[in-house]
Amino acid sequence: MTKILKNNYNNSNSSPVQLSSPHLLAIEGMAKLEIKRLLDRADYFANLDRHDDTKNLSGYVILNVFFENSTRTRVSFELASRRLGAEVINISVTNSSIKKGESLLDTASTLNAMKPDVLIVRHPHSGAPSLFADYLDCSIINAGDGRHEHPTQALLDALTIRRRIGYLEGLKISICGDIANSRVARSNIHLLTIMGAEVRCIAPPTLMPNNLEKLGVKCYFDMREGIKDADVVMLLRLQNERMSGTETPSQREYFKYFGLDEEKLSLANKNAVIMHPGPMNRGVEIASALADDSERSLIKTQVEMGVAIRMATIEALNFTKQNNIEK
Amino acid sequence: MTHIIFKSIRVVNPDTNYDQISDVTVKDGKILSIIKVVNINTTNKKDNTPLYDCTGLTMAPGITDIRVNLGKSENIEAIQKIAVQNGITSMVVLPNQTPRLDNPSIIDHLHRQSENPILPFIKAYGAATKDLDGLEMAELGLMSEMGAVGFTNGNISIKNSLVMRRLMSYAAMINQPIIQHAEDPDLSGLNEASTNSIKGEMNESETSTRLGLIGIPSCAEVIIIERDIRLAELTGVHYHVAHVSTKEAVDVIRNAKKRGLKITCDTAPPYFCLNETSLLNYNTAFKLSPPLRTEDDRLAIIEGIKDGTIDAIASDHRSRSKDTKAQPFSAASIGASGIETLFLLTLELVHKNIIDLNKALAMITINPAKLLKIEAPSLKEKEDATFFIFDDRTINTITQEHMQTSPTPFDGRSVKGRVIGTFIKGRVAYIHDELNQKLIK
Repeated sequence: MTKILKNNYNNSNSSPVQLSSPHLLAIEGMAKLEIKRLLDRADYFANLDRHDDTKNLSGYVILNVFFENSTRTRVSFELASRRLGAEVINISVTNSSIKKGESLLDTASTLNAMKPDVLIVRHPHSGAPSLFADYLDCSIINAGDGRHEHPTQALLDALTIRRRIGYLEGLKISICGDIANSRVARSNIHLLTIMGAEVRCIAPPTLMPNNLEKLGVKCYFDMREGIKDADVVMLLRLQNERMSGTETPSQREYFKYFGLDEEKLSLANKNAVIMHPGPMNRGVEIASALADDSERSLIKTQVEMGVAIRMATIEALNFTKQNNIEK
Repeated sequence: MTHIIFKSIRVVNPDTNYDQISDVTVKDGKILSIIKVVNINTTNKKDNTPLYDCTGLTMAPGITDIRVNLGKSENIEAIQKIAVQNGITSMVVLPNQTPRLDNPSIIDHLHRQSENPILPFIKAYGAATKDLDGLEMAELGLMSEMGAVGFTNGNISIKNSLVMRRLMSYAAMINQPIIQHAEDPDLSGLNEASTNSIKGEMNESETSTRLGLIGIPSCAEVIIIERDIRLAELTGVHYHVAHVSTKEAVDVIRNAKKRGLKITCDTAPPYFCLNETSLLNYNTAFKLSPPLRTEDDRLAIIEGIKDGTIDAIASDHRSRSKDTKAQPFSAASIGASGIETLFLLTLELVHKNIIDLNKALAMITINPAKLLKIEAPSLKEKEDATFFIFDDRTINTITQEHMQTSPTPFDGRSVKGRVIGTFIKGRVAYIHDELNQKLIK
């Protein structure tokens, strides 16, 4: 039975997005227009009333397969799937098959036998979602792979900025924190440079990856310099174990040089907004009061936009697949 | 045994710099004569002597591959059989296998297991330290008496400077080389004790940043080599660096050689054929140790081959099962097949006019044999008739599905040439139909 996408949204001046790939594995390599259309579509979803009918994917099966613990991303994908009317099943692999010694490919082929339409995968190893894409028949969404990418996070960050400021091109965006180990940073760097923003990365040299400038960004070890005139300050989480003598000497030293406080923020554009992909370490990456400053902090909006972005993405992949079959 | 004649074959013997179309007669396992062909049309075939009409083919002394990982001792015969089909007539195996080659009886056992006269001759490196743990010296002298040709911890770098100094002085006393896999395990994150369990996966560069894989900086190689050169100078040992992969390492070794130190090194085809951008789709066939480096490094390796800084080319064969390779890059095993492509990729250096055939063959025959003091076949009268025959023109594509070992990092690469026969002490060890058809009885 072929499932046809209905286009019955009220107020529909927006339509599902056709992507160039049947998967969303990475932002790197995506076209500017594709990203723009996804943001437009998500914008449309974000404007809808929660009771509006968006259930175009009834009968679709979406598997949320998480090889790493996650709450916000998993719930966000789940909510997005449900709002589209799809059936969603959450599988946490960390505590099931892997422990029984099953190989990743065996797990993949078991999941494939359930004939999902979309598989959303988070995995601690960079590149694992592309391995799934090679062996499974369904569309894959990368929900974060190792230190590589977290494409839907970058999309939701872009949507958040666009809804607040109105555009991305030409904005000065400073990303600060553990760039080396961050997939969120990589996806954001790719997306924001594709969209024409000026991206600056701020981190101590121990947390700055090799040759990062070649990705089209400017690198700063001095946060004051990197944050100057910024329109957006995006902070990244720093894992506790990296703060106590390995990559940086201590929490308090990290906060002194790389934590966001009023004084450093005053160097940014006076209307600058603050973002953080969560979960935050208050007093380490960001002064607590700033995180709660509803005027400047977009942290809660980011979470809200996550659902809209994931709806647009899931819908786009199904739409793309449908069109590819019809061709 | 009767005579066999190989007629009108191009004989290339790097040992004597001989390169002439010749008629080669083999008798009783030895080369009876090599006579330069003056007039190609003369037939000197008489009686029933088997004669191969080898017009257009080339004969070279058997290949000595000085870096083969067996994995397990029981794989030895299978690997020997595959090696011989690729022109290899002797191999030196690494101690990192099951069981570890860290005492004389295991080395003796390995030799006995591999005594088939029509399969490649097996030599072994002994482990430099007990259990390959880098702490206590293994029985270098006794292993040496059992035929070990050098000492190394194989795929593991000997990290401790004091241990290395002692190994070198002791090895110098028994006149044996120390072979190092040069990679600082702290910098490459391969040492368990290093900072929160980072584990190097590829070369550190823009590419590793893009892929989100943990980088091994290229200086991790040269740091160890520079230290070791100081210690080699102090102890007078013959120090050999295995699979050199970086520009800096080539520079440092070049200078050490100029100073007259007993330093040698080898590299392997991946390091002069490929660079790290091959990893861009996370293909685990390219997960090697040392990792594939940048294009600049690759060019420096080629320069080192040209100017003689790099003495030898070895296969660095480390075959891996599909199960351990069909994994996310970080979880996949390290290593790739090598014995099936060693010759073809070395020959590629000739086709690309980087070095001539004599030099290319020297790098896989007499050079590696000489530096480990292994008897090397030479195409001269009265020498053992141990050689291989190849055609250097046929264009083939290396494909994984037609190979016996996996994974190959060269899947889909077009190469020119192929081995069609291997003879060990005058006996047919491998013969392809193409050569069989040239037999005139």
